[in-house]
Amino acid sequence: MIKSVDLTRIFLTEEVETTALRQVNFNIEQGEFVAIMGPSGCGKSTLLNIIGLLDNPTKGKYIFLDHDVTNSSERQRAKLRKQNIGFVFQNFNLIDELTVFENVEMPLIYLGIPTKERKQRVEEVLEQMQISHRKKHFPGQLSGGQQQRVAVARAVVSNPKLILADEPTGNLDSANGEEVMNLLSDLNRKGTTIIMVTHSQRDAEFSHRIIRLFDGQILVENFQSN
Amino acid sequence: MWLNYFKIACRNLIKHKFYASLNVIGLAIGIASFILIWLYILDELSYDRHYRKAENIYRLVNVYDFEGVGENSASSPFPVAWTLKNDYPGMVENVTRVFNRQVPRTLIEHNDKSYNERRFFFGDSTFFKIFDVPFIYGDPYTALNEINSVVISQSAAHKYFGDSVPMGKTIRFEKMLDLKVTGVIRDVPGNSHFQFDMMASLSSLRKMYGGSLPKTWVWNPCWTYLLVEPGMADKLEANFPAFIQKYFYDAEKEHVSLYLQPLLDIHLKSTLDYEIEPNGNISYLYILGSIAFFLLIIAIINYFNLATATSANRAREIGIKKVFGATRVQLMVQFLTESLLMALIALFIALMLIEFTLPTFNVMAGKQIHLYRFTNAYYLLGVIGIATLTGLLAGTYPAFFLSSFNPIDSFRGKIRKGARSGTARKALVVIQFVVSIILIIITLNIFRQVSFMKNADTGFSKQDILLVPISNTMISRNFEGFKNELLQNPHVKSVTAMDDILGVAHNTHEFRPEGLPDDNWQFYPALVVRYDFLKTFDIKLLAGRDYNESMKTDPEKGMLINEAMVKHLGWKSNQEALGKRFSSLQGEERVIGVFTNFNATSLHQPVGPFVLNIKETPGVIRFFLKYAAIKVDPGSRQEVVHFVEDRWDSWEKGRPFEYSWFDHELAKLYAGEEILGLLALVLTMIIIFIAALGLYGLVAFMALQRTREIGIRRVMGATEFSLIKLLSVEFIWLVIVAIAIAFPLTWLLIDYWRSYFAYAMPLQWSSFLIGGLAAFLLAMFITTVRALVASKANPVDTIKYE
Repeated sequence: MIKSVDLTRIFLTEEVETTALRQVNFNIEQGEFVAIMGPSGCGKSTLLNIIGLLDNPTKGKYIFLDHDVTNSSERQRAKLRKQNIGFVFQNFNLIDELTVFENVEMPLIYLGIPTKERKQRVEEVLEQMQISHRKKHFPGQLSGGQQQRVAVARAVVSNPKLILADEPTGNLDSANGEEVMNLLSDLNRKGTTIIMVTHSQRDAEFSHRIIRLFDGQILVENFQSN
Repeated sequence: MWLNYFKIACRNLIKHKFYASLNVIGLAIGIASFILIWLYILDELSYDRHYRKAENIYRLVNVYDFEGVGENSASSPFPVAWTLKNDYPGMVENVTRVFNRQVPRTLIEHNDKSYNERRFFFGDSTFFKIFDVPFIYGDPYTALNEINSVVISQSAAHKYFGDSVPMGKTIRFEKMLDLKVTGVIRDVPGNSHFQFDMMASLSSLRKMYGGSLPKTWVWNPCWTYLLVEPGMADKLEANFPAFIQKYFYDAEKEHVSLYLQPLLDIHLKSTLDYEIEPNGNISYLYILGSIAFFLLIIAIINYFNLATATSANRAREIGIKKVFGATRVQLMVQFLTESLLMALIALFIALMLIEFTLPTFNVMAGKQIHLYRFTNAYYLLGVIGIATLTGLLAGTYPAFFLSSFNPIDSFRGKIRKGARSGTARKALVVIQFVVSIILIIITLNIFRQVSFMKNADTGFSKQDILLVPISNTMISRNFEGFKNELLQNPHVKSVTAMDDILGVAHNTHEFRPEGLPDDNWQFYPALVVRYDFLKTFDIKLLAGRDYNESMKTDPEKGMLINEAMVKHLGWKSNQEALGKRFSSLQGEERVIGVFTNFNATSLHQPVGPFVLNIKETPGVIRFFLKYAAIKVDPGSRQEVVHFVEDRWDSWEKGRPFEYSWFDHELAKLYAGEEILGLLALVLTMIIIFIAALGLYGLVAFMALQRTREIGIRRVMGATEFSLIKLLSVEFIWLVIVAIAIAFPLTWLLIDYWRSYFAYAMPLQWSSFLIGGLAAFLLAMFITTVRALVASKANPVDTIKYE
């Protein structure tokens, strides 16, 4: 599903050149649950951004769903992204001015799905995330755990092949965190590929494989048996 | 999707009430002012367009040029109109003359009602064929056919006849003629270059002039309008030189020229002598139009600034939407929708503001503009168009700026740092300051020019002089008798009379100065006066003596000229001019005195040669004595008014007493500039207010960006003053840049404006100082207020920020 060859990302500021990723090679197959771990500043988020088609590598090659997207335009990437990728963030990134329902509905709007079908799919996924009783509320009125469930709902509503989760439990207490991890595992069992950046060993244990990054390079890959 | 845009827009408005209201208020005031000025300009442009044949109506203008002295007359001699009609039948479809006997007021009576009518005219029977005013009663084609008939306006009908139908009834004209009402018209619209309440048949005057109307080609008191066959105006004008050769007197031929002035040009472009009413000035429309345009631009820039200021709040939303598949175009459409929504809300508020301020505006601008104009589809579309355009323009910058955010950066708050140093926004702030500074300086200069013109040393005294119109009265028949009665009152210092108001208007009269050939008549600006004119108006005598009542030959044989006349005729000194001969219609006159130059009309015009003359022939005196001028003790103005009124009643039973103060009459000359100044002042204040709103928003934004920095500095011991310095230093630089741009621009603009006046105020350097200082203080004030707010925040809370 995903293949990277000598993936390198260099950030240039006025005087400093920072290499965030250094010749990273990996493959991720359909249906996998992969955790990316490593200390702060090791390049985890940079890698996730490139995988999520939010950023382009400086050097190397990145193939997403058989498309070589190494040097594709923002427009092409946006198209692939909205059809195939769902995002879950540490700080939820819900739009404060939209209700729960409207937040979840948003990706469907950009996919051009008709109103009626949108309504049905949003209702379904809210039901699935057990949050439909709060659908008319605004994010500010929800607890952190509820907000993250909404964020997950938003990530899955468009039935993406891949979900990228950036520290999805980072802002949650352990009970809520575990709930979110269970949701992701469920999704993975139903066939969705999940790539997750995390600091938490406990969260990582939900995955099939852990990629450990250090100073922009893959240190080790552990396969887990759970 | 639209619903989504709309929802977010509304919720954003509600959530960011502070910024949203700054935004909407700025836009609303901007749109309201723009629409008001637009209505004002449209009204000015609409003059006389309500006449269906307006495009083909022309006024005949007579230019008399005697070596640079003479007149540009809006009116023509009696015979010209119909001679043109007879001689050029294929070109002139119709003609009409309009005549007011050169008398400012006409006494009209009906039963026990009597009024001095200012809007009374005589016109040819063709008048209403050319000027199609709607008739309520009567037939426009025949109403003025008979002698002693009159067409009156609805208001006049109501004034004299109440609710009864006035047709067939009579009104009495100057105690001389009974005029029969043969038509009632709707009131002439305010946007007409001349307005009348009564139009009597010109043929009624035949008897007064001894059987037929005057046949002279010299006296030119008739405003002459021609309805020209479409497209024939140029051809007709080409015939004028031959026409002049054929009819005008030999002495005039070389000096007269005629041309056609389009009716539609009169209100805004005509500055002739003897206009029926003061006209507008198209340059002032340009000035107001540009100010209104800039006002809207400032309001739009204001929106830019505030949108940027709130961008930090929007960045996350934009990032999320991008991540979930929004394209840049979709985001731009969203922001444009938002600004459009704002503009429409602003329009709604603007219309309320207009409705609320229109009465005041009308008083200020001397207009009768109503909001119900908007029931007209074009106006309505225009107004919505303005709001839409404003909304779209206001939305462009935020749309481009906000939609360009990189989603990754936007989650990390990088926008904040990026947006801080935005060159584009600095440029916008500079533009706001530039416009504000320019307008402050220009407004100051307009005001100073107006006050300069009102207070300028025009060569005569203006204060405490009472003017009483005396045309056609017993007083004008025995002026000296009236004068002596007035002088009984110790508060009356001096009394004289004149045929036009000094400093406002004058006629020209024919003279042949010594040394010129017999047929070489010259037309010189002149006032016909009575004794004590120089004394009453405190005009300095430079040589010779004033008219003296004890010298019986003075009226017939003596005349006074000004210094400029001495120069004009090439005499070496004022002394030398004394005793020089001028032939006039009275025979031969000699210069008995030379007086100092004064401004015989407004200060738009330079001083030229001038004559003061007394006439003694009985009929002539009566015609030329139109105003009594009474110099009064400053402390007893009201007392003297009552005294004069009392005397008036004993002389003129039944004729209403009217008076005005000389300085007020003079001030009217600058009414146009005064309105302009007033509007410019109000608009400038509005612009500064809007700019201040935007600036406050921007400073608030900058303070917010630097909340953490400010907190850290506070912990490290920064004083409030140092924080104010921190926030204001950037704005001070922007003000300096703005001043550097604004000053030269303003200098050019003011130089252009000054060229319009013969007597312009010297350039006011202090106004530049004030303009620059105002911008500086405004920036300082706003940053200081915001900095104080920021410095009050508890550093413990702010450091945690982000």
